[in-house]
This record gives sequence, C-alpha cells and structure tokens, in this order.
Amino acid sequence: MTITPEDIAAFADGELSDERDEEIAAAVAADPGLARQVNQHKALKAMLAEHYAPVLDQPVPDRLVAMLAKSQEPDVADFAAARERRETRRRLPHWGWIAGPALAASLALALFLPGTNDETEVYADTQLAAVLEHTLVASQLPAEETRVLLSFRTEEGQYCRAFSGSAGGGIACRDDEGWRLEVLGEGSEGATTDYRMAGAGDGEILALAQEMASGSALDAEGEKEARVRGWR
Amino acid sequence: MLALLPRLRRFAIGLSGNPHDGDDLCQMTIERALSNRSRWEEGTRLDSWMYRIMRNIWIDEGRKTTRSMQTFVAEESGVRVGGDGAQEAAVELSNVDRAMQKLPGDQREAVLLVMVEGYAYKEAAEIVGCPVGTLNSRLVRGRDALMAMLGEAT
Repeated sequence: MTITPEDIAAFADGELSDERDEEIAAAVAADPGLARQVNQHKALKAMLAEHYAPVLDQPVPDRLVAMLAKSQEPDVADFAAARERRETRRRLPHWGWIAGPALAASLALALFLPGTNDETEVYADTQLAAVLEHTLVASQLPAEETRVLLSFRTEEGQYCRAFSGSAGGGIACRDDEGWRLEVLGEGSEGATTDYRMAGAGDGEILALAQEMASGSALDAEGEKEARVRGWR
Repeated sequence: MLALLPRLRRFAIGLSGNPHDGDDLCQMTIERALSNRSRWEEGTRLDSWMYRIMRNIWIDEGRKTTRSMQTFVAEESGVRVGGDGAQEAAVELSNVDRAMQKLPGDQREAVLLVMVEGYAYKEAAEIVGCPVGTLNSRLVRGRDALMAMLGEAT
C-alpha cells in the first residue's frame, strides 16, 4: 500500500473515508515514523489554532461594527429571511421535479380565481375544508376522492394546499375564516361532467402553486407541524 | 454577520499577516458583502460566502501590493511595529506569523481555512474555488514548509 504525505495529513485531520482511514490507522500503528508525522501534523494544527485564537477575544474595531450597525436591521432581516428560504429549500424536495414539466407546458387550462362572481364560493365547503385541515400528503390513501397534492407557504407566510379531486382541483389557503380558494382548476366548474381524467390539470395547479410559494413544498414533518398549529 | 466578525478578523489577520491590514481587509469584505447581499442566497453558508469574498479581495489586493510587502515587511516589521506599541509587537513578531507570511498565498489560505478556521477539505476547497485534491496538496506543502521553518514544533 502506498501512503502519500496527503494521506497522512488527511488522516491527522480526520478527513479520510472510513475504509482508507482504517488502512492508514493500521499503517500508522505499525510504523513509529508515520506515527511521529501524524503527531507533528496535530501539533502544528494545535499550535496554529492557539496562535490565532486570541484574535477571537479581541474587541472588534468600532469602525467594522459601525459598518454593520448602519445597515443592521435590513441586514439582519435580509439574511435571516434568506437563510430561512435557503434552508427550507435545502431540506425539502425541490419543485422542479414536480412542476417543471408543467411549467414548460402552456397554462392554457382553465384556471380561474373563484369568488369573482359569487362570494359564497370563496371558501372551501365543509367537506373539502375537512380534507384540507386534516389530510397529510404522506399518509393519505391513493383512492381518496379528494387528494392533497402538496402544501406550501406563501411570501406572506400563509399556508396553502394544492388539491385534486373528482370535483376538481385547486389551491386553497388558510386564513381566519377557513380555507380560501385561490385557484380552481378543470372539473370544478363541471361537477356534472361524466369523467375526469385522473390527474388532469394537476400539473397546471402545481405550476401555479410553485409561483405562489416562497420556498419549497412542505415535507412530511413540515405538514405535521403545520397541522398541529392549525395551518396558521 | 456581526457574530462572524471575530472569525473574519482572524482569517483576515492570518492572510494579511498583521492586524492593521487584516482590519482593512475585513472592512473591504464587509463592504462588498453588504453591497452584494442579495446574491448571498445562492451561496451555501454565510460564513463560507464571506470567507470567499475575503480571499478574493485578498488575492486582488495581493496582486497590487502584497508582493512587495511579503519581501520586505517581514524583516522590517520589528522596527515598524515597535513604534506601534509593545503589545502588538509581541503578537506580530512571533515565529508563526513570520513563517506564515513566507508561505505562498495559496498554501497560506489552505492552512488557515483548515487548520485554524476548522473547515473540512471540501468546504475549504469550495471557498477557494479549487478541487479538493488541489487543496489537499497545497495544504500538505504548506504544512511541510511550516514544519521546516518552525523546526520540530512538537
């Protein structure tokens, strides 16, 4: 087995893969010369760390602090918000694989904002509201009449859920009153249609959901937490 | 960002070799970070992002000035620093500082990122913008040089 200086350094830093780490550990244990090199690396690291550590305890010069203080509030808010968005995105599935193809497709399918004609239609009815309130994407049955496609949050922090069902799909967002229907898709206007192709229109709904969302869809944990809080 | 300042200063002082230039480097880094803050979201971690900004500025500035400093200041710093006050002199004149300043820049930043700032090789390579293998070999060369200069430090 060839052992390079890079191996020894990486071993001292704990940077080797498990397999390689075991190999090098065995070689080091068998060879006092290698062991001495490892110790030197560790000693050097400790020495450098110690040498620069006092800087951390020194007061930061006022002029540097002042630069941040000047832009403190937007700064903190921006970065906190950006971090939040970014971490959410990293933790959760990306939209791309769900809605990407639909985004590329046209949004020609009839999607309309409900409530423009009749105020009573603005909120989900009791049955739909019950589904939206209680169903978790991860645990719903495939044969469920109305299925929740996914959940997300808007820029304003409102929870919304995209759903699909024989009576049509759409997107509803939770507010003080209940589940306000933001988008209704194909089928919803034709409760009397003879058939509805499974999943037809879901892509468009998801594409719209993506536009409304800030960050990614909630994952299973996120949905559970949101449900406990009543989606508020 | 405020919480990162002490660490940024440490990296800056390590790169530039003395607190005065280090704080100037910090200042430029903060300026650039603030004016580019909207672009941060695309990055990975705030600290890595700021370290990357800092080392890029350092490289740019280095092309202008550091070459002469590296050649002369190390030897003359005793005199120069002596005027600044005994405490700083004690810090600045240590063997470690001198040895670090003699390292080529790419080795110095690799050594600082991994051995002082505690980044994993992969993270350090991302900050520097080079492959992990390259970082690894720079690190080894830097370490060997330091050990040679500092003697059997152990």
